[in-house]
Amino acid sequence: MSRDTNPNVTLGETAAMREGDLELERTLPDPLVAVRDRLVEAFGNVAEGDADGLEVLADRRELTVVTGPERLIELLAFCRDDPALQCELLSDLSGVHWLGGTHEASAQATTGWPTYTEQRTGRIEVNYLLTSISHGHRFRVRVNLDDEAPRLPTATGVYSVADFLEREVYDFFGVVFADHPNLQRILMPEDWEGHPHRKDYPLGGVEVEYKGATIPPPDERDY
Amino acid sequence: MSSDQHSDQPPESGAPWGEEESVTEPTSAVATHEGGDAPARRAEPEYTLVGGDWEELPDAVEDDLMVLNMGPQHPSTHGVLRMRLTLDGETVVDNEPIIGYLHTGIEKNVEFRPWVPGVTFVTRMDYLSPLFNELGYCLAVEKLLGVTDEVPERAQIIRVIMTELNRISSHMVWLATGGMELGSTTAMIFGFRERETVLDLFEQVTGLRMNHAYIRPGGVSQDVPEDFVERANTVVTEIPNRLQEFEDLLTENPIWIERLKGVGVLTAEQCLDLGVTGPPLRSAGIPYDVRVTDPYCGIETYDFDVITGEDGDAYARYLLRIEEARQSVRIIEQALERLQRTEGPVMLQDQKIAWPAQLALGPDGIGNAQEYISKIMGQSMESLIHHFKLVTEGFTVPAGQVYVPVESPRGELGYHVTSNGTNKPYRVKVRDPSFIHVGALPTATRGLLIADVIVAVASFDPVMGGVDR
Repeated sequence: MSRDTNPNVTLGETAAMREGDLELERTLPDPLVAVRDRLVEAFGNVAEGDADGLEVLADRRELTVVTGPERLIELLAFCRDDPALQCELLSDLSGVHWLGGTHEASAQATTGWPTYTEQRTGRIEVNYLLTSISHGHRFRVRVNLDDEAPRLPTATGVYSVADFLEREVYDFFGVVFADHPNLQRILMPEDWEGHPHRKDYPLGGVEVEYKGATIPPPDERDY
Repeated sequence: MSSDQHSDQPPESGAPWGEEESVTEPTSAVATHEGGDAPARRAEPEYTLVGGDWEELPDAVEDDLMVLNMGPQHPSTHGVLRMRLTLDGETVVDNEPIIGYLHTGIEKNVEFRPWVPGVTFVTRMDYLSPLFNELGYCLAVEKLLGVTDEVPERAQIIRVIMTELNRISSHMVWLATGGMELGSTTAMIFGFRERETVLDLFEQVTGLRMNHAYIRPGGVSQDVPEDFVERANTVVTEIPNRLQEFEDLLTENPIWIERLKGVGVLTAEQCLDLGVTGPPLRSAGIPYDVRVTDPYCGIETYDFDVITGEDGDAYARYLLRIEEARQSVRIIEQALERLQRTEGPVMLQDQKIAWPAQLALGPDGIGNAQEYISKIMGQSMESLIHHFKLVTEGFTVPAGQVYVPVESPRGELGYHVTSNGTNKPYRVKVRDPSFIHVGALPTATRGLLIADVIVAVASFDPVMGGVDR
């Protein structure tokens, strides 16, 4: 997330005030604290020196644990079966693509912040949203993947609902889920080229003319 | 007339036949040439079938199974849904739903517009519950902004009223289309008639019957009209009677029971494994309702029951939806009463976020109030600049990621919104219940007869606009 690299957010007086708010947002409600402790107890914590442990993020009172692809299925199965977690539902499975390379973040027009550049390696984050009906908690399991040849084991063995959801992530982001029973495009036509929700995939569109003036397509507008 | 035309153009010595011969002759000559002394044979016309699915047919023939395409243009598949049914006689052995016919790239489009216009996109996803889509999106944006608690009380009440009205109208359409798919045109007429009363209310409040873009980040676009409470009360008092009409028509109806009982059964365990929520899950006995587990807009302060069933079949879902509509009526009655007691704004007081909402009826439909226009055009340059910046560029949202669910008529409708700190959403992922439910169809329809597949699909009430987005 750009919060840590964006100088406009991390520096300055406003930012210091905002940090106070963030502190509040980063506190978790009690049920999620218990979930976090249980997960860390079973899988370890990167911050505490376990190399293959979980990275724990808390933001806006939501819990996210980041794991590697190797331990993903083990973690999901644990979340489903452990009596203290008991996540009956895999509510959502989705991807977010963060484009690699150098980016000029120009928020000048909208925020008045100075333009700054950001260096990133391209990644696709895949988010598994787990819900426990019995305990009433909800949290996210995230895997970060390289966007060159993203590959993950399938979760269909743990939750059947992953069948459709993984097909959608494959269709939109090109993440290959190994051993998926029927990994093919789901919303785009079978012979479609490219994965539309990657950030390097253009939106497309044409200029619109109105009373002599033209409006560029949405992905070419300055604002 | 036609006889004249026929007599004007008599076939000249069997012209069609002659033409065909002249075409086939060279072909047969080639065949003779290649085949050596093989007898010259009149070439059979060659038919080429297009559509990749047929190539997989030989296997099916071997096992005495038949593959049947149902849809996408089929009057009873509840939308442009295509199901590839593998049949043994008339029994469904396998069912593969094929979707994407209504895919319009809404999620991608939203990424290229400021935050507020996103509402006009998401409202077009699940077109039978547009207000739930708007609400889910707006709640997610508000959570990212950190202003959830600052949304005015009156706006929250209006949101509850509008969404619960929407739940009733959606369930009415479900009864109408579901009934029509079984051949009950009376249910269809009844359902659409009741929905009409609710849509009239929507039209009065938002200006549109569907795709309202009424709920905005920070509140709602405008306050309800003066006579709204009165009109809404009329509708709400009438609806229970109309629901009773449905019950009189269908609940004890032997044909209705025969067609619905024991069809499309999903047990509680299957529902959870397949991610099924909403009425199908509750009809299997699990009282999971987002309004209770993750309450929004103060809905936890209203008095209502979460209805559950036992059998988990189409009939249980029918009973459950009727009862849910009654519960919605209960909520609306309480909310209307509160609305009369609550005064105040319907939009956030932070002018850096609140969309200019001084709307009024103008000569060309709805627009900004005359008073407001003369202020920004004639008196205050600063107001004009502010208005212009807010409308074209919008506001920025701090970086982060949230997931906000709402209980739509079909189940848990979740908005997973990512912001990278600019004035446009970085990614908006919608967890649409219809999409998940279509994924559960193979399990729910296996072993049924073809005619029952229609009932089973209808009982999940998938809306293809939401499935394909």
